[in-house]
Amino acid sequence: MKFKEWIKTLTFYELLLGMKTTMSHLLRYRPITIQYPHEKKPLPENYRGMLALLKYDDETEKCVGCDLCEAACPSRVIRVVSAEVPGEPMKRYSKEYYMDMTRCLFCGLCVQACPVDALGMTREFEWAVYDKRNLHLDKQQLLAIGDRAFPVREKRIEFQHPNVAHFNVAFQRLPQKES
Amino acid sequence: MFDFGIKFALTLTQIAAVMGIVLLTVAILTLLERKVLSWMQDRMGPMEVGPYGILQPVADGLKLFFKEDIIPAGANRMMFMMAPVLSLVPALIGFAVIPFGPNWTVDFFGVEFKPFAISDINIGILYILAFTSIGAYGIILGGWSSNSKYSLLGGLRSAAQLISYELNVGLSIVGVLLLTGSLSMVEITEAQSGGFWNWFFFALPFPQAIAFVVFIISAVAETNRVPFDLPEAESELVAGFFTEYSGMRFAFFFLAEYANMILVSCVASVLFFGGWQAPLPILQGSGSMVWLTGIMWFTLKVYAFLFFFFWIRATLPRLRYDQLMRFGWKVLLPIAIGNIVVTSIFAYMFPGS
Repeated sequence: MKFKEWIKTLTFYELLLGMKTTMSHLLRYRPITIQYPHEKKPLPENYRGMLALLKYDDETEKCVGCDLCEAACPSRVIRVVSAEVPGEPMKRYSKEYYMDMTRCLFCGLCVQACPVDALGMTREFEWAVYDKRNLHLDKQQLLAIGDRAFPVREKRIEFQHPNVAHFNVAFQRLPQKES
Repeated sequence: MFDFGIKFALTLTQIAAVMGIVLLTVAILTLLERKVLSWMQDRMGPMEVGPYGILQPVADGLKLFFKEDIIPAGANRMMFMMAPVLSLVPALIGFAVIPFGPNWTVDFFGVEFKPFAISDINIGILYILAFTSIGAYGIILGGWSSNSKYSLLGGLRSAAQLISYELNVGLSIVGVLLLTGSLSMVEITEAQSGGFWNWFFFALPFPQAIAFVVFIISAVAETNRVPFDLPEAESELVAGFFTEYSGMRFAFFFLAEYANMILVSCVASVLFFGGWQAPLPILQGSGSMVWLTGIMWFTLKVYAFLFFFFWIRATLPRLRYDQLMRFGWKVLLPIAIGNIVVTSIFAYMFPGS
């Protein structure tokens, strides 16, 4: 037994074994590299990427300024300034809407908290910027992200189901429900 | 005077050609090493600059050339600026005695010169050993003058390592010198002509295979390469002796390391594998074709050794410092001395075979 090990040491058996392994990898060259900017890995179905504000199919914002996303956010990313819609006293909207994406941890709690599904998570992830301030997004930027990430928009809830009561009488400028 | 002028011009041309080839080879090596290493590790290596990344050395060179040259506060400026040069020049100067092709003398306007060896001095191999030892000064001084603990540790390690492994290099080639009876690189090559069974790796009185193994291990250690890259151990010493260097000075150290690798490969192929001699006389060709096949075989052998260096780097982890020292002094040194003793006995018993 001892003799065998001596022979192995003298002939560099272990070293040669290792070198055989590396050589076999060289000869059977199958790289596992994905050349990232040129080819991309498919994202999983439930991928949570950049946040976006959504619109209805008639170009009106979904957000009703309820502040629930702000309350749900664990890292205080969102700041909502809520206000009444001028001339429509019962309707509220978010006058200003800020997101500090430097702090966002993409947990998706704000999306779950939103009662009108005004927030969505896109599949964008290439948000590297040279200036951190470019990651402080306002409402217009968030709406733009939503526009390009979700081209297919929802109808207003009232129009989605014919049996939903047309309770919010304050929507003056909306087209009348077809019956 | 006219003769001297022509001689001077010819030598300068030779030097320029050899330097150009060596530096070109260094550029190729930087890419080849990364490529081979990544292929062995199931990666792709550089792929962005040019098709399949083949222009990467150009990009690297440009980047290093335009980078800021930082001299750290508290560094010994003189030493700091001298160390890279001191490390590069000995590495390049060794190529003066390497025979790249057959030992011909060409008559050029009444001046005789050897086209394939810059100079054929009778102590060629000793000259190379002496100058590679001077290269150690560059590393040690670079480590010491940087005023950084990592650099200093790298320099100290390299001092000990180079001293102990140079000894083994020197002793392992003594067998070859005994069989040849000459220190001249040209004559050593000439002595191995006529097929691979005459190469000193296989030559009959006593094959120098053991000496070759000792030589190649010590050579890897002397060029500070994995698995003996303790002077620049990335995981322990940031970058070792050239931690504080940047820009062109860093590039000089880099060039020196690769030039040393090429030099060591050249020496190994000359001493043990017959230099420019083909493995079979048929493959050598005849007449004026000999120089072409000679250079081809030499290049092939050198690149085989360089590939071997890459292969080893891809395979082996770094040795611990005490392991390195123990291996050098307690294993390689006795083997080298034993090889000398046995070779002398054989050379005495079978003279001229």
